[in-house]
Amino acid sequence: MTTTFEITGKFDTESDCHKLLYNPLTKPLKYRETQCYKVEFDGDAEAMKAFVQKVLVDPISQDAHEGGALLFPKAAFVLEYGMKGAALDLEKEMILTYYRTLSNPGFTITKLTLRKRIYVFGKEAEPEQFVRDVVNPAIHTHEVLRAA
Amino acid sequence: MPLPHALILKFPGTNCDAETARALKVAGFSAEVLPIALLEPGKLDTAQMILFAGGFSYGDYVMSGRIAQLITKHKLGDKLRQFVDKGGYAMGICNGFQILTQLDLLPRGSLIHNESGRFICRWAGLKKNASSPYLSELPDEFELPIAHAEGRFMGVGDDTANYVANGRAALLYTEDVNGSSQRIAGLQDDTGRVFGLMPHPERFVNKVTHYDPDWSQAERGWGYYMFKSVRDAMAG
Repeated sequence: MTTTFEITGKFDTESDCHKLLYNPLTKPLKYRETQCYKVEFDGDAEAMKAFVQKVLVDPISQDAHEGGALLFPKAAFVLEYGMKGAALDLEKEMILTYYRTLSNPGFTITKLTLRKRIYVFGKEAEPEQFVRDVVNPAIHTHEVLRAA
Repeated sequence: MPLPHALILKFPGTNCDAETARALKVAGFSAEVLPIALLEPGKLDTAQMILFAGGFSYGDYVMSGRIAQLITKHKLGDKLRQFVDKGGYAMGICNGFQILTQLDLLPRGSLIHNESGRFICRWAGLKKNASSPYLSELPDEFELPIAHAEGRFMGVGDDTANYVANGRAALLYTEDVNGSSQRIAGLQDDTGRVFGLMPHPERFVNKVTHYDPDWSQAERGWGYYMFKSVRDAMAG
């Protein structure tokens, strides 16, 4: 079974895209950043969801959205990126390190994939500069997504 | 009379343990740095204070302090709560404060990314908002270094305003440095024995570490007086 959770910050607001880029933009653009966890697992789905809520979500400052659909349809585009399969993803390793300490979690994680999403808002926003400045092609794979 | 013993927990990524141990020793503690792999519940019986030092435990992955909290809880269960209930002290500095909030030893709240979205490294003005065993020998206003990316304290609803009103927010910034709600810099539990703060007292134990070489407001740095305050509180 596979489930994707997208984590958003309750206190997050749209931020100036200049925080992400090396060169100035000619137009004012804003962004929001989220974190996606795609969990492939066997066993008790409720136990897996409880694990996600306990380990990956801060109930005070974050919300978890299940399903993987794009959360902000008004975004001009979404840059989704993450570590290449062969690259060491330390965040994933930290999560799995904790998972392995559990004696009887009730489910087995067969694969965990972490991806970041950057939702970019604004007219005439184009992804090229974002891909160049945010993605490191040596270690990352990326996709540019657009709401249907 | 034996010195009070402070146990400093060291997670992968903790990087302020050595200077915190030095600061504690200068203030009159015996201090022991304990790698988390060697932590077992019985170790708490040897200590009067548990200290969570600054750094980037487990790389701050997922969110700062989260994995450290989970591992600590897994290893100690309710033992840490029992340690505090029996009169033990617990202190968290910077990343340690983040861990303490996650461990539910402090009033409800969370430390999230600074409003600027940037790591901040500077000195910050601080003012006492309530009496605390950790602050008794400090003036009403003083300064300490801060260095964090996730230091913006947020609560739910009116939490933070209530903490300021009831003294749980023992320490406030004198200006808005990171977007922290009500400018909260440090928090204590209702006993006062559990205390967490984002600034780094261990980095200002000696006068020479102040940015002003002529600084002479006290014999030692303000951080020394924070550790000495709690040392004196333990001595009764």
